[in-house]
Amino acid sequence: MKKIKFNSGVGGVVALAVSLMLSCSEYLELTPKSSFGPETIFGTTENARKAVLAAYQMLGGDQTYGSRINLYYPYDEDNMMGNKGTGDNGRKDINRYNVTAANTQLNAPFERLYGGVERANICIKYIPEMSVYTSGSELEKKKLRRLHGEALTLRAQFVFDLIKLWGDLPIQWLPSAELTDLFLPKMDRDSIYDKLLEDLAVAKDLVPWRSEVTALGEAMDERITKGAVKALRARIALFRGGYSLRRGSNQMERGSNHLHYYQIAADECREVIASNEHALAPTFLALFKDHLNAHLLDPWGEVIFDVAQGGGGPGTDSKIGYFSGLRDQIRALPTFFYDFHPADTRRDVTIAPYTMDADGVLTATEITKLNHGKWRLDWFVNPSFPYTANIQYMGINWPLIRYSDVLLMFAEAENEVNNGPTAAAISAFEQVRKRGFAGNEHLIGTTPTTKEAFFEAIVDERALELAGEAIRKYDLIRWNLLAAKLAEAKAEMAKMAAQEAPYDVLPTNMYYYPSAAGGNGINWATSFYEPRPSSAPEGTSSVRWVSERILTHHDWPNYAEGFKENHSELLPIPQNALNANPKLTQDYGY
Amino acid sequence: MLLFAFVLCAVTQVMFAQGNRLRGTVKDQASGEALQGATLRVDGVSGDHQGDENGAFSIPVSGSGTFTLVVSSVGYETQRMTVRPGTSITVLLVQENVMDEVVVIGYGTTRRRDLTASVSSVGAKDLKDIPINSAEQALAGRLAGVQVTTAEGSPDANVKIRVRGGISITGDNSPLYVVDGVIVANALSMLSPQDIESIDVLKDASSTAIYGARGANGVVIITTKSGKPGVTAINYNGFLSMQRIQKKLDVMDPYEFVTYQYERSRNSTTNEQTFYDRFGAFEDLAQYQGAPFVDWQDHVFGDDGLTQTHNASVVGGSEKTQYNLSLTSNASDAIMVGSAYDRKLMNFRLSQKVSDRFKLSFDARYNSTTLTGRGTSTSGTSGHNFLRQAIRYTPFLSSATEFYEVNDELIEETNANQLYLVNPLKMIESQYRKNYGRRFNIGGFAEFAFTKYLNIRSTFGYNYNSSLSNQYDDYLTTNSRQNGGGLPIAIVGTGSNYTWNNSNVLNFSNASFDGDFHEKNRIDFLVGQEIFESRGKSMSVTQRYFPAGTAPEKAFANLGLASPPTGLTQPAPSSSEGLENISSFFSRLNWNHRDRYLLTLSVRADGSSVFAPGKQWGYFPSGALAWNLSEEAFMKNLSPVLSNFKVRVSYGAAGNNRIGAFQYLTQFVAIGDGYALLEQLNSIYVPSGLANANLRWEANLSKNAGVDIAFLNNRFRLTADYYENDSHDLLMVMRIPSTSGYSAQVQNVGATSNKGWELQLGADIVRNKNFSWTADFNISANRNTIKSMGGQERFLQNSGYLSNTPDDFLVEVGRPVGVMYGYVNDGFYTVSDFDYDAVNNVYTLKDGVVNNAGVLGYDPQPGVAKFKDLNSDGLVDLDNDRTVIGVAQPKFFGGLNQQFSYRNFDLSIFLNFQYGNDILNYNKLEFTNGYTPYANLLATVNDRWRTINDAGEVVTDPAELTALNANAKFWRPITSGAAFMSQSWAVEDGSFVRINNVTLGYTLPQNTSRKIGMKTLRLYVTGNNLGTITRYSGFDPEADNRRNTTLTPGVDFSGYPRASMYVFGINVTF
Repeated sequence: MKKIKFNSGVGGVVALAVSLMLSCSEYLELTPKSSFGPETIFGTTENARKAVLAAYQMLGGDQTYGSRINLYYPYDEDNMMGNKGTGDNGRKDINRYNVTAANTQLNAPFERLYGGVERANICIKYIPEMSVYTSGSELEKKKLRRLHGEALTLRAQFVFDLIKLWGDLPIQWLPSAELTDLFLPKMDRDSIYDKLLEDLAVAKDLVPWRSEVTALGEAMDERITKGAVKALRARIALFRGGYSLRRGSNQMERGSNHLHYYQIAADECREVIASNEHALAPTFLALFKDHLNAHLLDPWGEVIFDVAQGGGGPGTDSKIGYFSGLRDQIRALPTFFYDFHPADTRRDVTIAPYTMDADGVLTATEITKLNHGKWRLDWFVNPSFPYTANIQYMGINWPLIRYSDVLLMFAEAENEVNNGPTAAAISAFEQVRKRGFAGNEHLIGTTPTTKEAFFEAIVDERALELAGEAIRKYDLIRWNLLAAKLAEAKAEMAKMAAQEAPYDVLPTNMYYYPSAAGGNGINWATSFYEPRPSSAPEGTSSVRWVSERILTHHDWPNYAEGFKENHSELLPIPQNALNANPKLTQDYGY
Repeated sequence: MLLFAFVLCAVTQVMFAQGNRLRGTVKDQASGEALQGATLRVDGVSGDHQGDENGAFSIPVSGSGTFTLVVSSVGYETQRMTVRPGTSITVLLVQENVMDEVVVIGYGTTRRRDLTASVSSVGAKDLKDIPINSAEQALAGRLAGVQVTTAEGSPDANVKIRVRGGISITGDNSPLYVVDGVIVANALSMLSPQDIESIDVLKDASSTAIYGARGANGVVIITTKSGKPGVTAINYNGFLSMQRIQKKLDVMDPYEFVTYQYERSRNSTTNEQTFYDRFGAFEDLAQYQGAPFVDWQDHVFGDDGLTQTHNASVVGGSEKTQYNLSLTSNASDAIMVGSAYDRKLMNFRLSQKVSDRFKLSFDARYNSTTLTGRGTSTSGTSGHNFLRQAIRYTPFLSSATEFYEVNDELIEETNANQLYLVNPLKMIESQYRKNYGRRFNIGGFAEFAFTKYLNIRSTFGYNYNSSLSNQYDDYLTTNSRQNGGGLPIAIVGTGSNYTWNNSNVLNFSNASFDGDFHEKNRIDFLVGQEIFESRGKSMSVTQRYFPAGTAPEKAFANLGLASPPTGLTQPAPSSSEGLENISSFFSRLNWNHRDRYLLTLSVRADGSSVFAPGKQWGYFPSGALAWNLSEEAFMKNLSPVLSNFKVRVSYGAAGNNRIGAFQYLTQFVAIGDGYALLEQLNSIYVPSGLANANLRWEANLSKNAGVDIAFLNNRFRLTADYYENDSHDLLMVMRIPSTSGYSAQVQNVGATSNKGWELQLGADIVRNKNFSWTADFNISANRNTIKSMGGQERFLQNSGYLSNTPDDFLVEVGRPVGVMYGYVNDGFYTVSDFDYDAVNNVYTLKDGVVNNAGVLGYDPQPGVAKFKDLNSDGLVDLDNDRTVIGVAQPKFFGGLNQQFSYRNFDLSIFLNFQYGNDILNYNKLEFTNGYTPYANLLATVNDRWRTINDAGEVVTDPAELTALNANAKFWRPITSGAAFMSQSWAVEDGSFVRINNVTLGYTLPQNTSRKIGMKTLRLYVTGNNLGTITRYSGFDPEADNRRNTTLTPGVDFSGYPRASMYVFGINVTF
């Protein structure tokens, strides 16, 4: 074989190849352009704020407080029935308590809440590590402390929603990147609750009161303030001390040492009340119609903690007012209409017995189709869309905790801790009731003074005050009253259908005057509380009212049909989550 | 240009008018028969000459002495011979041996006889018969082991090309494309079939490993036509075609429609009243008998699809310079009203020999595409799917003007879950779409020979793409109604990316060496280095709330026209940039010992920027051995019969890095639409995913064994291959516990296996002077199995065909990808399943009869659809009663191409087929359900269980009901959400044989074409997609139109129907 001579060209090629090899490690190390590392995000206060807002984002949108958690999950209960019908393997089957693990409406909310936990975890880890957190200006430190406190509070809210809905669950207190094993088993909810209460105790000292926000140079907006932290802490304490469906026993059982937790609730509420940072709106109507439906924050701070929504899309906005509202999706029970005292102004805010057509003309509905009325199309201003049934996102915020809730939690906790209502408890209770009866405060009746009677009054009052706000079902569960109250509601409906007392003098038809577009509710011609007149008043239309139809028509036979005590109080773990983690168990008979 | 060429021809003729002549005859060596039409050229003298019909030629030459005559003819080896003028010369041409065909392999070429790898090829000869505009579609069924699936019938339909199945479970399985030596993404979509010289598909790791990681899913090497020395030819190829919808779905006629709607409305007083208001009493329905039937498919898909394609090229050059310039224009209407496709292509190749040592080559390509129209489907939510309107809209006109009108009332009544019905022609108007694509591509190489045995070739390629999409949704669309307050919405998307590719390869060959060793051992060795970088940018802007009535063109030219109502804001614009680099080193050795033993060894190292430092490099060795038994002495006596017999084995590793960049880093991305404080959206930083610092190359091992046999001087050829591809450390989007805040993470877990065989048969069945018949047949089978998914055994996946339907695909270890999952259909309940309470007219299920109320959402009644209770608990439910109902992977597929020529006529018939795959026909499921009121149904539902007698009365009596339904074949259409859940009835056999292409051509005799100034003129007619033999009930069994994930193939929902195409075309060479 001839010897191959390498000429200079070959040498050049070899040299080129070698130099390429040396430079190639650099060639392969690229810096991303459309993403940022943690050092950037937690490099400035403004960037950190955007990371905390990312955690906030998971509160809103379709899968959480845009529709699933506040409009699908909290029904059926004894005030309202959720989306009518059955057998959709979706929201209807959740409402009817026919839910199974493969239900199509379970997984996305489950994932989104955990997404919120993770985003909060990232902020909770990184914000205190920022150098400005400890060595920045006083103002900057305050802002960062607020962000830290908000992240802790948001995590508490996400985790609270998770265990309220699913019971025991795996919860991470660190970002996933910090964990070596993501396959976690279920943890006991009591220990989770205890951790949340600890976190919130820390958070409440990091976050300013409502009145202190502007001093930070920050806007008065929907972000969390001290009132929200404390109110959430009170709420979580009541759940910790209340009943829930337990693994193992498969029974509804109260959390241990419940008076301790009721004391926490009482203390937190007392401090919120004493702060004078929050107050009730003068009227129930003004709060809902002029503020919540009108895209305005209420100036009294009655809404202590709310989910900000807007932007017109499924990720950031809500279907409040589209799904709830005037479209016969969530209905008040006919009997619930009559649970309100005739002088209670809250009835006509909570229940909208009418629909609206494309021209804005209102038509009364029969008693079997009473609309959930706290958010309704005809109250919306700003944005002013022409009404069509298809706009689904209207930028409505969701109130998580209102001041009246704090007053009632305070009254409830005081009553439990002191074995009877204190004067402060009675006063708080009556404050809520009087606002409801605005103008007719003398009609509120006598507030009971024994522990049991006062508790029952609280149970009723929370229904009247908070119906349709995704609270009732969970109240009933923590009181272990859900089964009893559903049975009671069915029994009351049967009585009403049979027109037995106290429903024996109610009208079988209601008459109303036709209203022009933009009318303010229905102009009724006859009374809700007297039998129908023998002939129709002139110029009126009529709708069916109390009759046997409430048991047979419009899907009322399906109301809460699948409910099983010691089973239906919690949701099944979504099938996808079970598939992804063999350590996660399905319990409670699912 | 044309004139110039003509003049040039004339001048050469004149120049040689005086003097001597070279005379003689061209004959086929084997048969001794005269060969007509051979091309003759005198070396060193420009100008071509043609033999006549009897093979005779007479070429004037100046001077005497010897001349070198170069004689070529299609299908024959080119012959050079030294001749003198005066004497009569007999030129004997030897038929080309297919074994000497050049096959392109990575960074080089080889003769087919020297191949050690498994390669499928298709040449220009096959492609010429396919006058369609998509090179991708032209490949269907032509290449063994290559599966080509076109999603639907639209002009821009996504074409999926898979070489030997898919390795990855969740990742991209498309092959690597190399055009004239340069890596070009999705290259087939930017080339005109007329410009393609050959396509070679490398299938086994021994051949793909030289491309390293990126070749793991096969390598498609495309060579475009290049210039030829000495010949200046001007070619024109043009065709005109018409299209017609190949098949329609039978829908109910007006009377059947109203009768069903009457029956459907008998469930509540409200519905009865609405029906009455709309159509009147039962007695009035008779007027619909014989009412004019409007099948909206005729109007929506009734366009003639007129298509014009023009392709002109100039090819020519000298020994030193060769060039090819080709221009193509496609202008195509589609069968769907309002959709069109327009494409302009330029392809230029130039090569220059600077000196004996130095050679340069340069290619440039430009592609401009404009696509108009929205097609039928998007992967968006149900409300965006369009086929529904053409099938389900009222099959008659209720007023003379309704053809062009919108019925708002009907929209409201049918609105549940955005499945509303709207006049399909108006809906098309309401959805303006225009997509513009521009691609620019330059490439080339410089080759320098240091010595006869050593050269270096440096290849570069730069590929730039830009796209602009304009989407305009007017008030009828779900988007406008849900998100825009009923006002128009405009979405502008732009994207651009470039890739830069440079390779430098040093080649050594001992071909020029003397000596016994070098005679017996041919050694080729190469070593090289390559870089590949890609950069991409994209941007999207959505503007909502345009003033009602704004014309789309105006909207896009005036985006500022849109202004949100008080209290609302526009969505934030979004943009992103991506970047990725790959650096590689590779080497290959080919050793050919006495043409008997062939050895190929190669190794490649790839470094990829998508992995963390320290994990960037992957090493991919391979080896192959072939034994040419027919060269052995002991086989020589068989050689007249057995002309080639080669066995091949290969083993090699490849890899995969096709994941998004920077997934090894914890990263956050900015999102403009974040959290709406005080109604104003704030931008936020969200985690981009859960980083995985341990990501590394996926590894694929491929084993191949093959045999090539040819008989009778290669007239009959057989190639068979068996392969096993195993991959592990699969880069997979893994489900992780969502309690982590993420539902998925890219991980190196899992393993898959693909095993299969391929068979190619080719035969020159008849080879006569006047008649020839060749046939090529291929068939392939692939079995894909998921071997492992890390710790996970199974999960369910949603095809996303409708929102909120249960997951309909199963991904499970031990099964292939693409397993359909759902309920098992069990016909319907009959009267005998019930106890009848005659007093209250109530049917109650008998004990022991399965109850599927939990699925349907209403209590079973006679005639109601029934599903199987798989766990025998008496109830049918989502958790326990679903199972595997179909498999999307075919058992085998292939094609048969036959080409005939008789005198000047040529005919080719091409069939392709697929067997044993299932299709999840969701069209059928939706179009036979009663979920949406006033929606039309497929005519199959006329055989349904009825609840109404001839007098329009609801029948409840058991005896009467039984008698009424004695012939019922179909259940009462499902009216609940269960109507959309996947079930076995929707699974259909997707096997088919398609008459893909029939072409009949006529080439004018050369002396005739000469007279009109053309070298050759061929006229042809073609039918594409003429018919399909299948049992599939949908539009077309080649359906795969929900491609959100790779896990859900074989879904047919709202696809664009396929058309048959009738073509008239012409090929001219001047």
